Formats: sequence, structure tokens, C-alpha cells
Amino acid sequence: MQLLTIDRLTMQFGGLIAIKELSLTVAEGEIHGVIGPNGAGKTTLFNAISGRHRVTKGRILFKDHVISGLKPHAIVSQGLARTFQHVTLFKNFDVLKNVMVGCHLHSGYSYWGAFLNNARTRQAEADNERRARDILAFVGLSEALHEPAASLPHGHQRALGIAIALASEPHLLMLDEPCAGMNSDETRTMIDLIERIRQGGTSIMLIEHDMKVVMQLCDRITVLNFGTKIAEGTPDEILKNPLVHEAYLGTNSNVA
Amino acid sequence: MTSDQRFTTLAWLATLLAALLLPVLSGFDRYILHVAITITLNVALATSLWLIWTLGFISFAHAGFMGIGAYASALLFTKLGWPLWAGMWFGALIAGAIALFISLPLMRTRAVYFFMASWAVGEVIKRVFAYYRDFFGGWDGIFNIAPPKLLLFGLEIDFASRVAYYYLALILCALIVLAIARLNGSRTGMIYWSIHQNETLAQHIGIDVFRHKVICFTVACIFAGLTGALYAHYHTYINPKSFDIWKSEFALVHIIVGGLSSIGGPVIGAVSLTIVDELLRATGYFRVIFFGVVLIATVLLLPGGLETIPGRLRRLIRSGERR
Repeated sequence: MQLLTIDRLTMQFGGLIAIKELSLTVAEGEIHGVIGPNGAGKTTLFNAISGRHRVTKGRILFKDHVISGLKPHAIVSQGLARTFQHVTLFKNFDVLKNVMVGCHLHSGYSYWGAFLNNARTRQAEADNERRARDILAFVGLSEALHEPAASLPHGHQRALGIAIALASEPHLLMLDEPCAGMNSDETRTMIDLIERIRQGGTSIMLIEHDMKVVMQLCDRITVLNFGTKIAEGTPDEILKNPLVHEAYLGTNSNVA
Repeated sequence: MTSDQRFTTLAWLATLLAALLLPVLSGFDRYILHVAITITLNVALATSLWLIWTLGFISFAHAGFMGIGAYASALLFTKLGWPLWAGMWFGALIAGAIALFISLPLMRTRAVYFFMASWAVGEVIKRVFAYYRDFFGGWDGIFNIAPPKLLLFGLEIDFASRVAYYYLALILCALIVLAIARLNGSRTGMIYWSIHQNETLAQHIGIDVFRHKVICFTVACIFAGLTGALYAHYHTYINPKSFDIWKSEFALVHIIVGGLSSIGGPVIGAVSLTIVDELLRATGYFRVIFFGVVLIATVLLLPGGLETIPGRLRRLIRSGERR
């Protein structure tokens, strides 16, 4: 079954066409890689799907519902979460609180409930805290529960960013360069984490520049260049595709 | 309870006790009671302004909404004869309704654009009071707003008495501070601070940011309206200048000097600066210059404001012990 269907998506900013007539599907349970040279429109694609930028033309369907045109918070509530390329956290909160805010959608929150702090709210908050601790254990941050988020090392900040996204209990998680700027140890930990997230039943869409990561993790890969799809297939097919070599290395690819 | 929390609770209880005993301790001095009432009103205004700050916004329209509460309550009294008891709730409600309506476009702006837009809103509110002479009394304002009376167990309390009015203002001020502290300590406060820190991320974890901004602004303006009604019936006279940008700016200085990160900040800022302001009353126009100096000195010498002093002292003592 197709979880996410992108149907002839065009994203235009003034005179700049960042994505042109792009169609793409992500199946349930797969890890789908999106690669391409800088400026190919990968992050713009994520911004369009997650509702951060308004779609110029085309449709985006998630679980057979049209989500293009919805606000970001409404899209998250359908089960589609994302992380950001640059580490984004609530820097003044401690680690646990970061994930507890992330549990927002499933916190049974209401203004009056929170204000009156009745038995039901207290129960819900206790459940939230337990869930946040579980998620942090899952991403390997149990040791750092009460550290300020800003003081974590880079790899841990990345993991926390993913923990925040996981707290919304997504069916599809979009990761924007999860391994950027990581050393090989951190990268290995991240690959392992992404594998475990998929095993937990969450499909994943992934932008990544590190080809080892992409080739190792992805079931299918879409290659973008100048806002259009130039190739799609399994990692092996992509490696053999001459168009991909051309996009990355120029026409005289024998120099590589 | 950690020692920090215990200290905070004790500080609040001590403040409340001192406030309750103040009339007796001052020997029912009329001038001191006047200053005390001014303090309670300033605390209420600064705290509700701080509530908007938890979202990351500073509103220059805040005194304007205080004015709406004051004018509504005053007009209900002078035209319909409604006492403060009814007028203050209606004043708060009207301030809230107008805030809700205005926040729909206003809360779509950000940062410096919000400052300018809220400044304009505050100025327009003042000008509306000044422009409609027949209804709002123009620049002359509204006179003869009497304080209410209350029949309690066969005993008549006349709030023209400063002691009685002080306790009335103190109770309402304490309720406002308590409500805002409660809001800030709940998940609502967590959501507001998360929007303050990283609005984009907050949106992408499923928080309806715009809705929260509108509700927060409206609630803060309801509290400002309530404060305004109390102001009107205490002074018995109001005019548009009582609620101009200066009033908002003084409240802003109160929260910056007091400290922005917790609710103790606006309270301690409003209390201390109102007292200092009264001490400097004789110097006339220099009060305003002094406020500017205090603001700059705080930002430069005591970042975080007065609320950080206990923590600084504790760190100092601890480092002294280690040595």
C-alpha cells in the first residue's frame, strides 16, 4: 500500500522553480532515500510535504487523504513527522521536557484541564513522562534526561531531534540529513537507530549526502536534479544508472 | 521539593504575609496605602504583560487594554449606575473581546513588526477615547467614578476607605498572579515557552501556534482589563493619558528589571520600581530619565534582572565555602 503519494508537485518561489512536476510514492514499511546534488530541491520537497511551504501546484496524499494545503500542525496530527537539517531543539528545556512537549498530540491536552490540574490531567502528564522516558531510552539518551538540550554533543542533539519527532507517534518519519556532520561512530549509531525505528513499524523518508548511509539503509532511492526526478530504484539500480553519475560528476565521469 | 523550590515557596508566602500586614505595620498611613495600591495595580499589569512575553512577544498595547477595562467599568457606573462588582467583570470581558478581535491580524505579525503594530493599537485605543468627546469625555476623561460599597453579614464596607480598597486590590492582584503562575506551570506554559524558543519546531510537533497566540493575548488582556477597572474606581477619575504608551513602557521596564524568565520577575520588578518611582516623585521629570538609566544598568550589570539575585548570592556563598 502506498503511504505517501506525491502527484505532479510543482514548487515555485517567485521566478524560481524549485520543484517541477515531481511524482513520487513511498510505500508502507520502506526506507525511501532522496538524494541529489546541492540545490536539487530535496529540502524544498520536505518543506512542501510537511506544510512548511505552500504547494504551488499538484497534490500530496497521505494515507489517501489530501494533505497539501493543511497547516504543519494538522499534517503532524495525521501521522507525518519530520526533523530538520540544522539541529532544532527547544534549547532552554532539558532533554526530558523537549520530548514531553513533543508528546503534545497525544497528551489529552486542554486549556481548562491544564489550568485546573485535575486528576485526569495529572494522569495524562504522568503517562506522557513515562512515554518520553521510553522514547529517550530507545534513542539512547536515558543518561541525559535532565541535561539542558543545548549542552548535548552533536550526535546526541541529532538523536534528541529524532526523539521529539517520534513523540508525535508518526507513521512516516522524514529525516533531513540525519548524519550530517557526524563522525563514523556517530553515523553507525544513527544507522542502527533508523533501522530500529523502521522495525517498530514507522516508514522513513530520508535525505542524506553520505552515500554509504543511503546505500546501506534505503530500500528505494529517488534521485533529484534541478527539481525533477532523474532516476528511481533500488540502491543497485541507482549505482548503475548513467544519468545519476552525470548529475553528480558531470559528463566526463571517467575522471572519478 | 528541592531547596530552590522551598526557597521560592517561602519567598512567596513571606511576600503575601507582608502585603497582608502592611496596613497595620504602616499605622494605616494614607500615603503608604496609596503607594501600596499603586503597587498592586502595577504588579497585576506587569504580570499579565509578562504572560504575553512567555510566548516571545512584548505588547505596547497592554495599557490600552487596561484602559478599555477602565473606561467600560467607569461608563457602566456613570451612565447605568452599575457598581464595580459588575463593572469590572464586564470591563474585563470587553477588553478580552476586543483583544480577541484585534489579535486575529495582530498575532500574525512577528518581532519588530509586532512591536510596531501593537504600538499602533495602543495609540489608536487612546485616540478613540480622546476623539469621542460625548461618549468617552475626550481628553478631559471621566469624573466621579465612585468606589463601591459592600454589605457583608450586615456590615457595610465602604471601599472609599483606603484600607478596604487596598485589600480588594491585593486580593484581585494575588488572584491574577496566581492564575498566571498556574497557567505558566501547566502544559500551557510549556507550550508557550516552546513557541517562544522555536516556533517552527513547535508547529511541526503538532502545536497549533496561532490558536495559542490568540488565546494567550486575549487572556492577558482580560487581566489587564480587570486591572483597569480597579484603577478607575480607585482614582475615581480617568483620562486617555492614563493609558498611553508610557504606561505600557513602564510595565515593560518593570518586567525587564525584575527578570523575564519566571513569574517572580514582574512581581519583584513592579514592587521595587514603584517604590523607587514614588521616592523620586519630588524630582519631577527626572523620574523618567532615572527609569531609562535603571533599564540600561540592569541590562548591562545584572542580566536576567532582580530575580537572579538569590541564585547569584547562593553561588557566591558556595564558591566561598569551597575556597
